[in-house]
This record gives sequence, structure tokens and C-alpha cells, in this order.
Amino acid sequence: MFYDLHMHSCLSPCAEDEMTPNNICGMALVKGLELIAVTDHNSVKQLPAVAKVAAGMGLKMLYGCELETAEEVHVLGLFAKLDDAMSMQDWIDSVMPAIPNDVDYFGKQEIMDENDRLTGTEPRLLLVSLEASLEETIDAIHSHGGRAVLAHVLDRVNSVTRQLGFIPPGLDYDGLEVKSLEQKSRVLETHSWITEDSTEWFIDSDAHRLGDISEPENYMRDSVFRKLWGDSL
Amino acid sequence: MKITELIEKTGWKVLAGDPAASPDAEGVYCGDLLSWVMGNGEPGQVWITVQVHLNVVAVAMLREFSCLVIADGAEPAPQMLEKAADEGLTVLASDMPVYETAVMLREAGI
Repeated sequence: MFYDLHMHSCLSPCAEDEMTPNNICGMALVKGLELIAVTDHNSVKQLPAVAKVAAGMGLKMLYGCELETAEEVHVLGLFAKLDDAMSMQDWIDSVMPAIPNDVDYFGKQEIMDENDRLTGTEPRLLLVSLEASLEETIDAIHSHGGRAVLAHVLDRVNSVTRQLGFIPPGLDYDGLEVKSLEQKSRVLETHSWITEDSTEWFIDSDAHRLGDISEPENYMRDSVFRKLWGDSL
Repeated sequence: MKITELIEKTGWKVLAGDPAASPDAEGVYCGDLLSWVMGNGEPGQVWITVQVHLNVVAVAMLREFSCLVIADGAEPAPQMLEKAADEGLTVLASDMPVYETAVMLREAGI
């Protein structure tokens, strides 16, 4: 399956307004992707609408969010079941500082329905770090039935290597996200405790606008999907 | 400066390690972005941070810091303190913010 498991909807303040449920799913189909995940910052509230649209278009979907830990490391939570993903919101609310969003500065945080109609906005700023460590965040994803993928691990901002120097040995993640095969090689060169087979590797777009959603270049074997998310598709 | 002397002057609490066995303090480094600290810290420095992840201990050992000061009342997890104790890294706690903590080190003579 050609996939892209990291992109932001218009609920993320930093994403373009054009990232509506229908536009995202439509663009993914046009590009030839078969599996996507929408992963807004510290929220799952856009997922019900995206799920309906994706189902209507025959697009496979994982239900995601991009959580920012107390160390300011970004971690993707990816769930096979919408209900499991939605159950994360209570946990997020319990560890998220309530800082009001300044729309003019950070951008809008819009929640839509399956017809791209505005149904609400998130008043709290989503670009915040949760009061939960990296380990606690991964545990929370697991206890809600999801898989934890360390996001853009070599990025200069909000990556595990930037914030914590290196990927901690023994950390219980399920996958590592890189931007290229060259980055994957660099992770392997600099981490003797990580091997090609010791985890799953993902290359995603982290798209904040429609045009940046991945081309059909990154392929996931069915066996890898089943190992992580079961026979849910 | 000896770390035992530093503790007398500041009153900071010892969270882990043996101050009497710590390398003498020569200078100070402040930072929470561990990749940055790995690239810029120098041996013998007292490292002030509010970062309390386990990786802090590894970075402190790698840079051969004299000791670690957790500032602003940040609370390290028990695993981090256990690791520091295992590695022989002295960890001190300052209730003051990073700037005031650094000023205290200067006033102590470092």
C-alpha cells in the first residue's frame, strides 16, 4: 500500500485552511495513495469527519494525532479503530495546559463535518507541550490501543534527536519516521542499538498544505500493517 | 571549586551522587536542548537545566560535566536519579529559575 501517515488538517493552527476533510482525502486519492492518517497536533477532534469522507471515497485510513511531550518531542499515535483514537482525547485533556489560542498569531483551529462545514473551533492552543514525558505519552498511546511512532526523528525542531540528543535505548516505540532513506541510514549509523529490523520505518510528508501530501513513493507491505494494526482494513 | 564547597555556599540539595567524588567545577553551561548541549558543553562545567529526561545523564557523562543542577524546581524521575547514582554523576536541585541559579554560581566564585 502506498501510504502517508502524517498530515495536518485545518484543526492544526499551522495548517492551511484548504486542509479540509474532503480536500485531504480527494488529494490523497488523486495522488494515488491507498492509506492515510490525519495527525493533528494534540487533538483527535477532526477524525470523525475525515473517517466518513475516507470511507465514502474507499480510502483506507488510520486514525492519528501528533502529540508533543513534556520534552517537546513529537510522537505520532496511530490507531486502527476510530473509537480508540477518540478515547485519547480525555487523556490529552488531562495533560494539556489550557492556553487560549491567539488566532491572529497562531492561526485558526477549525473542526468540520463530512461536508467541510464548520462545526466548531478548538479554543485552547494546540501547539503546546503536554505535561507528560515521552515514556508516559508512549504508554498512553499503547494503553488506548494505538501504535507510537517517533515523528521526523532527525528534524531540527521537535524531534527526539534534537530535544534529547539521541533516541533513548529501550524506549518502547513501534516505529521511527524519517524524511528519506538517507536519513534512515544516518539514524542507523549513529545508534548502535537500532537495526534495520528492530523497528518499523516510515517516510511521511507531514503535509500542512494539500500539495505537500506524499506522492505514491512510500510503500508498506500488508504484513507490516497487519503486524502493527491487525486485520482492521 | 569543589562541589562540596559549592553546596555549602548555595544550600542546594543533593539528589544523587557523591559531591566529594565529583570533578571540580570549572565554568557553567546552561541548556535544555540536549543535542545542543552535546555539541557545545565542555568538561568540568556545571550544567544547569530543567530537562529531566533519562538522556540527561548520558549527555552529562559524555561531556564530562562536573555536576548537574536541576533548576526551577523541575522534578526528575526516580529512574534518572538512579541512573545518575549508577554513573557517579552528582545531581543538585535549585528551586530558583535558570538565570538566578547561574547568578548564584557566579557569586559563589565559579
